[in-house]
Amino acid sequence: MKKKLMDILACPIDKFYPLELYVFEEKEEIVEGMIVCPKCSRWYPIREEIPEMLPDELREEKDEKPFLQKWKEKIPIKILNEGKPFNLKG
Amino acid sequence: MKTYSIKEWQFSAYGFGNLMETSNRVDKMKKEGIREIVRKRYAEIAKDKSSCCDSSSSCCQSTCDTSADYSTSVGYNEEELKAVPEDANLGLGCGNPIALSSLKGGETVLDLGSGPGLDCFLAANKVGQRGKVIGVDMTPEMIDRARRNAVKGNYKNVEFRLGEIENLPVADCTADIVISNCVINLSPDKERVFQEAFRALKPCGRLLVSDIVLLRELPKSVKNDAQAYVACVAGAEKKDKYLEIIKNAGFQDVKVIKETQFPIGDVCGDIDSQGAQRTSKKGVQKEKNYVASIIVSAVKPKNL
Repeated sequence: MKKKLMDILACPIDKFYPLELYVFEEKEEIVEGMIVCPKCSRWYPIREEIPEMLPDELREEKDEKPFLQKWKEKIPIKILNEGKPFNLKG
Repeated sequence: MKTYSIKEWQFSAYGFGNLMETSNRVDKMKKEGIREIVRKRYAEIAKDKSSCCDSSSSCCQSTCDTSADYSTSVGYNEEELKAVPEDANLGLGCGNPIALSSLKGGETVLDLGSGPGLDCFLAANKVGQRGKVIGVDMTPEMIDRARRNAVKGNYKNVEFRLGEIENLPVADCTADIVISNCVINLSPDKERVFQEAFRALKPCGRLLVSDIVLLRELPKSVKNDAQAYVACVAGAEKKDKYLEIIKNAGFQDVKVIKETQFPIGDVCGDIDSQGAQRTSKKGVQKEKNYVASIIVSAVKPKNL
């Protein structure tokens, strides 16, 4: 994903804009990272350069929690504890 | 003391509240079930190296030999197809919205259900480096394939993201044009899709959608068939209802700019042989002109 894409990204749930971007790994484009909606505390992973902006019912805990574990040093504590739809506390 | 409105009182007094909830839940489960079926089927198509034309469960005619043959039959010219990575064409469309879109350099295009990326790449060639194209698809395998095609074709102005067209991850008023090719019929919530497209468009933004619609009610046997759903017929709306949904979302100048009618067998060979036979026994008109592919254009008004 290119950083410029953030210009038009909105939260699919509450349509909030602008969203926050956390970059974990970057080459020519952002390879791994996280997009966060500050309004509803939902987070969306960027994996293999693709932002995955699916609504809750199309996301699976078994795919998402390992992502939080993998990058927990770089993810804001608020998301680790209270992020939706999955966090490391719940 | 709690006061009830008449409606609430009636529902709670007769226990209809629960019933209503159950029916909403069933409705939701049904919608989610359909979504899963569609996701799975398109994931298979994306992973399959062969074209979808080998399969009766895709959107395309079973009579064509290759994806390229099929695509030229629905409105793509050979030159266009040569200009994009071959893998981007799985023969999944039912029209060529880009050809009719009058895209200008620098514009932002949003493709709903971008699949392996064919229309995105054609659009990218038209909007140039100053423009951008965003493809949204809910099938990870399709997004993966599209991304690889973007690399192969060296497209710098195309971005794909995993998302759902009923919940677009796009800010309000950002796209100059929203396109979609043979996808919205698969959505169990078409109203929502057009409302989202409307929201994402700039004022004066254009909608250009190619899709399958019904010209008459389908026989029940076909309508209840999950395979028919992924073959784009069981989920399709009647044409007038489809156009009404677009108008109700707020669009103006809703026009059918191209229409091709064909028998149901052209979109779903297997299902037709059972469904249409059963129907003909009942004396209902056989397979003629059940289905049409249409290209619809519409505009988001300047002043809301």
